Amino acid sequence: MKDDYLWDGSGEPDPEIQKLENVLGRLRHNRPAPAFPAIVSAQVRPRFWRLPVFRFALAAAAIVLVAAVTLLLQRPALVAPPGPAWDVIRMSGSPRIGSQSLGANSEKGRLGVGQVLETDSRSQASIRVEEVGEIVVDPETRLRLPDSSSGVKRLALDRGTIHASIWAPAGEFVIDTPSAVAVDLGCAYTLHVDDSGNGLLHTTLGWVGFKLADHESFIPAGAACSTHRKTGPGIPYFEDASEDFRSALSKLDVETATPEEKSAALKTVLAQSRKRDALSLWHLLSRVPESDRGRVYDRLAVFLPPPAGVTRAGILGLDQKMLDLWWNQLGFGDVTLWRHWERTWSEQTNR
Amino acid sequence: MSSASGDGVELLAASLGPQAVTDISATAACEDSQLVEAARTGDRTAFGRLYDRYARLVHGILLARVPFSEVDDLVQDVFLLALPRLGSLRDVTRFGPWLAAIARNRANDYHRQSVDQVELTDGLPANESASQMKSSPVEDVEAEFILGLVRALPETYRETLLLRLVEGMTGPEIAARTGLTPGSVRVNLHRGMQQLREKLAQRSPGTRDRVVKE
Repeated sequence: MKDDYLWDGSGEPDPEIQKLENVLGRLRHNRPAPAFPAIVSAQVRPRFWRLPVFRFALAAAAIVLVAAVTLLLQRPALVAPPGPAWDVIRMSGSPRIGSQSLGANSEKGRLGVGQVLETDSRSQASIRVEEVGEIVVDPETRLRLPDSSSGVKRLALDRGTIHASIWAPAGEFVIDTPSAVAVDLGCAYTLHVDDSGNGLLHTTLGWVGFKLADHESFIPAGAACSTHRKTGPGIPYFEDASEDFRSALSKLDVETATPEEKSAALKTVLAQSRKRDALSLWHLLSRVPESDRGRVYDRLAVFLPPPAGVTRAGILGLDQKMLDLWWNQLGFGDVTLWRHWERTWSEQTNR
Repeated sequence: MSSASGDGVELLAASLGPQAVTDISATAACEDSQLVEAARTGDRTAFGRLYDRYARLVHGILLARVPFSEVDDLVQDVFLLALPRLGSLRDVTRFGPWLAAIARNRANDYHRQSVDQVELTDGLPANESASQMKSSPVEDVEAEFILGLVRALPETYRETLLLRLVEGMTGPEIAARTGLTPGSVRVNLHRGMQQLREKLAQRSPGTRDRVVKE
């Protein structure tokens, strides 16, 4: 057929495709394999199941398991929760899934919809989903798998700390916290929630979107952002910013700060900001009173001139399209995609 | 692109079952599985062989998204990212799609990490044409021009087309390595090529003439 050559190189050669192959083929990968570090063996869990003794034990355990399952099936009250379940692996101590405790004799468990994974001060666990990523659950953490009928993978962090390494497509993994929803945008990050429901997120790779109602923050690699139960996501900042800058920024996040305190804090933030802190300044535009917005605009414009289509009047009026256009100039990612994902999982949340 | 031709390709794609790539996917998946298993136990030679097999895939995916001068380094980054995560790959036969996802995420991350926005220009920086392409100036200009046109295509077509035209992978091989269905790959190749032909014709008739001229 006509496209055979394009498909697999068979059939009558297409001169145009051949020429394209010749020209573009010069860009083909030709670098030999580098010397990879010997870290694989250190990362892989011991493969006990390959040992004959383990296989024998496994066979015996399987017989016992069949008997146990047969008994359990006769008790309708103990059927597994409906819906998908995620694999949980014990790393230390005795993490609990519902009333089931993982221990040395039961290294793995399944976290079903509606169930809670809880670790005490000595326990640590990991959740692995091949197509999504890995979430390490630190001690003193409570994590739930809420009902999510959509394609979005969703967990709820009530308190404690998790470390997520996500390789699912951006926007497909979401963590609910009491003070914000964290949306993975292709990244690795640490998320902590304290007993009062406030949170702190550090992004180490990629970026994360944080949202509560109309309040949203974007946190790229190297940046952090706090969340507050009443006000939602705070203003993100790069962790290498000066102590004074970060301290002043946190005052702008605090609802109880007086107008005078906030005015002084804004003065410090503007004075100490670097080009890199355009991240924080962009977020500040929609967080400060209208009377202060012009100062933030002027400072941000010094580091990153507003692109075509963005006007001072528009920004002072918080025109969302103009704010998005300016964000796209920062180079952290296209906010248009975020708007799409935001709609998707907001609709799913409202179902 | 006319809908008629598109429908035609979809019909052809629909008629192209998984059987078409059975030989490639079954053999490759079996060997790859063995290499992944070996790499997970610390066999660096096995991981090196996986690199040899999959570097073109990763290279093509990155080339569709980041500046040419960055691609080689990022290819190595992707493999270094994958290396410590091998233990979490439950289905070893899905190594290709898993690696492709890491490559796409790494490309996204490349853009996010850069405060000064990196622009994918139509062409290549002048200094890398000479050092990396190892071709005559006329061919450099052609490659520069065509790469820019391919990069202007929709992402799905762009990636598949670069894997075919730059990396020299066949359609069945692209399907087996990326986890896409053969039908999808065929449609992407057909439509991508059709759009590329249109762009070649519209953007610079002179250059297109040079491309088609033997």
